[in-house]
Amino acid sequence: MSESLLEISGLRVHFDTLDGQIEALNSVDFQVKKQQIMGLVGESGCGKSVTSLVTIGLATCEVDEGSVKYEGEELLFRDSESTTKIKKISGYIVVISILLSIFGGFWTLIDPIQGRNILLGSLTVSTVSWLVGFFFSKDSRTHEKFMRWVRGNEISMIFQEPMTALNPLYSVEKQISEVMREHDRLVEPETPTINRIGEAIFSPFSLIYRTVVAKPQSAAIFLSTAAFVMLAHSRGFTEEAQSWSLSLMLAVPILYSFSQISKVRSLFTEEMTLEERVSMETSFGSGFSMDRVDPTSGSVFSEYRHMGTVTSGYEMWLRNQNPYVRLFIHRFLVSLQGIPVALAVTIVVFLMLWMPFSALMGLVVISNLLVLPVVIWLDFLKLDPAHSRQVQEILEDVRIPNPEAVVKMYPHELSGGMRQRVMIGMMMSCEPKLLIADEPTTALDVTIQAQILKLMKDLRDEKGTSILLITHDLGVIAEMCDDVTVMYAGRVVERAPVNELFANPLHAYTRGLMACTPNIASTRKSVLPAIPGQVANPSDFVSGCRFCQRMERQGATLTRRPEMIEESPGHWVEACPICMDETKDKWE
Amino acid sequence: MTEKSLIEIKNLRKWFPIKGGFLSQAKKFVRAVDGVSLDIKRGETLGIVGESGCGKTTLGRVLMGLIPITDGSVHYSGEDIKKIPNKEVRRKMQMVFQDPGGSMNPRMSIRSIVGEPLLVNGLSDAAELTQRVAELLDSVGLKREHMTRYPHEFSGGQKQRIALARALSLDPEFILLDEPTSALDVSVQAQVLNLLGSIQKNRDLTFVFISHDLAVVRHISDRVAVMYLGKIVELADADEIYRNPRHAYTKILISAIPNPDPRNRRDRAPVEGDVPSPIDPPPGCAFGHRLQHPNWEKSITMDLSLREISPGHWVQPCPCCTEVPPEPTQIRVSSENNRKPPPWERGD
Repeated sequence: MSESLLEISGLRVHFDTLDGQIEALNSVDFQVKKQQIMGLVGESGCGKSVTSLVTIGLATCEVDEGSVKYEGEELLFRDSESTTKIKKISGYIVVISILLSIFGGFWTLIDPIQGRNILLGSLTVSTVSWLVGFFFSKDSRTHEKFMRWVRGNEISMIFQEPMTALNPLYSVEKQISEVMREHDRLVEPETPTINRIGEAIFSPFSLIYRTVVAKPQSAAIFLSTAAFVMLAHSRGFTEEAQSWSLSLMLAVPILYSFSQISKVRSLFTEEMTLEERVSMETSFGSGFSMDRVDPTSGSVFSEYRHMGTVTSGYEMWLRNQNPYVRLFIHRFLVSLQGIPVALAVTIVVFLMLWMPFSALMGLVVISNLLVLPVVIWLDFLKLDPAHSRQVQEILEDVRIPNPEAVVKMYPHELSGGMRQRVMIGMMMSCEPKLLIADEPTTALDVTIQAQILKLMKDLRDEKGTSILLITHDLGVIAEMCDDVTVMYAGRVVERAPVNELFANPLHAYTRGLMACTPNIASTRKSVLPAIPGQVANPSDFVSGCRFCQRMERQGATLTRRPEMIEESPGHWVEACPICMDETKDKWE
Repeated sequence: MTEKSLIEIKNLRKWFPIKGGFLSQAKKFVRAVDGVSLDIKRGETLGIVGESGCGKTTLGRVLMGLIPITDGSVHYSGEDIKKIPNKEVRRKMQMVFQDPGGSMNPRMSIRSIVGEPLLVNGLSDAAELTQRVAELLDSVGLKREHMTRYPHEFSGGQKQRIALARALSLDPEFILLDEPTSALDVSVQAQVLNLLGSIQKNRDLTFVFISHDLAVVRHISDRVAVMYLGKIVELADADEIYRNPRHAYTKILISAIPNPDPRNRRDRAPVEGDVPSPIDPPPGCAFGHRLQHPNWEKSITMDLSLREISPGHWVQPCPCCTEVPPEPTQIRVSSENNRKPPPWERGD
């Protein structure tokens, strides 16, 4: 049980920026034990996310020292100094010789032989030095391959915002199966690929069929237009038909106005239902709605004047007209809205008539031939039913109701909680041993948060997954974790089992975090004990106690690095004499 | 109407139509706010809580007059808000938005951001402006020299302070705070909450505080309204509603707050599923429907308007979510039945 799965020790990393090196982490130490939930808590800018990204090798920073061991296996890779130097130099040589070869290319215009020599010589030099660099980076390539295997198979990560982490263009099914294909977790397909290619070819026809069933009115118009074009081509009256297509400019708006008949009805009734009124208001702007007219004052829509949607007394006049005149005027107004559609339809029909029929058909065939290989190569084909079932099982595991329907949905169709579940499902699909959850519930409501937390706990209990839970909510920590690590400004300031930490917080920062969270039990409307200021900018970090820096204390603690000491078994704390002293806490 | 109430909301509705496709007749509506009645008393803080998608933000925007009202009315100190000119409304009611960075023009300095309302309303001339802005920044705990900087140079908490300074610039009576702390860290959140408390005390302001964090709402509010699917299901004094919640939804929301004490971990049974779509809300008590409560069907024909069960504690009476005995059964008359049919249906 107590064996550690992930062991981070003495991790120090920095970012290279234009202003020089900025230290992000400074000697971070903690372990995640098997089948345990480790909480990592701190404010933004404390280096929680950087720690997790360094662990899975996705961070864009330079690691200075320290190690990240996963089941005894080192996850960090650093080239030896000489290798780094050789790679750097070979990179420079490649760039310079390629520039030289471009120069040589131009020089051939002046002196062909000399130019050719320069060109060939510099190309040879660049190839050789590239090969040298390639040879020396063999170890790092092997390591990258190893890391790709570790990510997903062994360690996976849930990101904070499920909306940005999921691809909006692919269905849930596609995205989860992609992860599984990458890690070779898919079962044998049921149907051969050739069948699925056949399906892809016929899919436009099935799409047309579904449209006809779903929206017969709209489909009839488009199909009859297409039929007319075909007829014109086969009977050879395309040239006359081109001039007829202009009549669509009249026909489409009229059809459009008939389609909006439900709006027309409301013109005849004194009382509109709320539905009708809202739809009137949106189609004509709120000024047009009939019941807003104040017949006594004669001033129309005074209440709307400040909203900038005022129209004239036209509606008053309209209201006094004969119902059939009103109907006509209304139809006319609605038809005007159909004009842009009419224009588009007319142009398309005109183009289809103007183009020779063979060209039209050729266009369809050629575009199909061009697209199909890409579709097959990128595997845009419909998912195999066996794989689809596999994905559904995963969604069932993360307690998504009705997974058969959800697999076909796109991320925007799902609510925040569902998206987060899909994300967790995707990460759990390869059954990793360690799950890194970076603020998984920060963007969610309390009820959904409770659901997600329960789900993660169940996963731990059922599958024995260890979890590294990053959050800034101490309530979540108290509810979920076995051990807690408190980070401040790139350093671990306190580390203890959860009961010990909440019962006996030693560091001032931990106490401050606990005190400033509003609590159901606290006195209402009281002044919350807030920690003043904010986490300092990483470029201004002092070498000593950084929490003293935030509290604007002076003295020796700012310059001397406090040591980590073990106060009681398993309870480690950064022993700054001022921050350890409870009487020195002064919250605003 | 009581003398004390500053804003009176009566049966407010906001429906957003969903555009059908080309040539399609079907019209649907998102019933974001569906029949809300509220009194906001002068000088109080009213907290509005609920899950996302329950219409909290829409309610706020409608009562500020940012989007037109579909039905019902909002009265500001006795006057219909639609009849008050926009300029006057804005001088009395201000708003602080959720995303402080998104509500500021990145190309304007803090001086112009905070000072713009003053210039627009002619309350200050250019010479005096710097002094006024400095006073405002001082009142929200920022320094005078911050005036020449731009929004991106500030942290989230400082930006929220600037947004508050801008809202205060016209010396309003009422400020709507739409999730002002949900994007902030806990320690910064505590700073902002303290600031809001002290400003309210000094300036005698009325706040409406919208949030999904129940602990924060409880801390800052005098009264709390719980919203679910466009309706208020419970409204009571803040202490009362947390000590003695009557509606099942309120109970579940309160039990879902993570308890920062590892010694008494509860195995919570959170409610399943999400808030249903407000496009076709279930009839009757919407939360009873989500719970699949056996008594839910009885609530369909009942009058579910809020009832006062003890002084100041209003709750939606329904057989499924509250133990409040419902009033004698009333068949609600649908507006469809009242409508006169159009001529071709009448046959004239």
